[in-house]
Amino acid sequence: MSSSVLDEQNFHHCCQLLLQQSEQLKDGWSWEAVQSGLAAPVDADSIEGDIDDKEGEDEGACTVSEGSSQVLQYEYHIVYSCSYCTPVLYFRAFTLEGKSLSLEEVWSSVHPNFRLRLQNSPLNTITLQEHPLLGQPFFMIHPCRTEQFMRPVLQAAQDQHRPVNYVLSWLSVVGPMVGLDVPLKYSTQLHPTASLSSTKPD
Amino acid sequence: MADDKDVLRDVWFGRIPTCFTLNQDEVTEREAEPYYLLLPRVSYLTLVTDKVKKHFLKVMKAEDVEEMWFEYEGTPLKWHYPIGVLFDLHASNTVLPWSITVHFKNFPDRDLLHCPSSSIVEAHFMSSIKEADALKHKSQVVNDMQKKDHKQLYRELGLNWYRSADKFDQFWAMNRKLMEYSTEDGGFRYIPFRIYQTMSDRPFIQKLFRPVSPDGNVHTLGDLLKEMDPTALPNDGVVFNIFPPVCLRRSFMSLTLSLCFSLLSSLFRRVSRPR
Repeated sequence: MSSSVLDEQNFHHCCQLLLQQSEQLKDGWSWEAVQSGLAAPVDADSIEGDIDDKEGEDEGACTVSEGSSQVLQYEYHIVYSCSYCTPVLYFRAFTLEGKSLSLEEVWSSVHPNFRLRLQNSPLNTITLQEHPLLGQPFFMIHPCRTEQFMRPVLQAAQDQHRPVNYVLSWLSVVGPMVGLDVPLKYSTQLHPTASLSSTKPD
Repeated sequence: MADDKDVLRDVWFGRIPTCFTLNQDEVTEREAEPYYLLLPRVSYLTLVTDKVKKHFLKVMKAEDVEEMWFEYEGTPLKWHYPIGVLFDLHASNTVLPWSITVHFKNFPDRDLLHCPSSSIVEAHFMSSIKEADALKHKSQVVNDMQKKDHKQLYRELGLNWYRSADKFDQFWAMNRKLMEYSTEDGGFRYIPFRIYQTMSDRPFIQKLFRPVSPDGNVHTLGDLLKEMDPTALPNDGVVFNIFPPVCLRRSFMSLTLSLCFSLLSSLFRRVSRPR
């Protein structure tokens, strides 16, 4: 039976695979084990780019304000939610001076293509929440629709008898909405050598 | 269910006498008097402090006023925790009234969530309801509701329910939907709860916990606590201060779960029995 949710053990497994690939690609993800066993990979990279509001300049650029040019630093965490049985993306963003971005500023940095879709249902979008392990404010993409969009992905993988990394596939959907690009190389390296076992949809 | 409801009423109407004092570094046009208020345990700070804000704005210039936030003995108070939890966590040993300091500058955005409007409170509240529903009924109840029902749910459960006695019954009528068991599943899938501890790195403990054991026995609150943090439960004489007051009947626990916005905020701390 194809399940579109993820149990915690599988989450750990998917994250380990992702970490191995991240190490090879030097992409900066790391695993933080918090007391009592729940853990969250952290992207220690800073996503930097020139920000300006010219149209068409879209390469990970974020429009923050008219005519200004700033570099933003993002921090991403993937945390497992046992309530929804899915991974959840938490992130925060600062200017280089350490000033946090507001929710409005984060929204204006979301690509217009995504923005309309997300804003249609306010509960299923980006909100400011307390990080469940660190207790500090982070932005979060609400997980209640994850199962819905993962279902066809997992079904297709099962039909074609190929392995899929739940966390990686999920991240490639939600990450780009909030400035996190998932390089294609992650999936081209997905087919493992004999020493690794891949995640099979069950 | 009868005595359960009595306990619920006690929790519902539970109040904490509080004294709000303006932070002395704020710029005022004249001296600010403290403001006294009875805070309902089962509400959120930002919902019940409009009068506090109005009171202090009378002595301040508009340009000196930014987002209001609260602090107790140096700790910023998280508005998204129920007031009763905040009190039990930070101030349960103090003499009443609870003394809270009010700030209008230097919002600590590394510690506190911004709350610029009541729609943020609504979103937070509905998010808790949804999460609890995901645990109890696999989100069936909330997803089956229409958007207008969500709005009404928030109105009944969130905005005004603490204000008057008749609202309690309205709340209960609305809340019944969230508490009803689905007969196919035979009850809640998992119990929605959170445990806040005074000495802990993590903000709270929240894990999966079934209401019934595999051999069919109903779990009690004691079972839950034992499983979630065995180190905090020595065998000899420990008293738990639990919000709401502890009772080991599961039906009670379920009801109080529903009261706390369907996501139980349960605080416990060790108080050793005097020898």
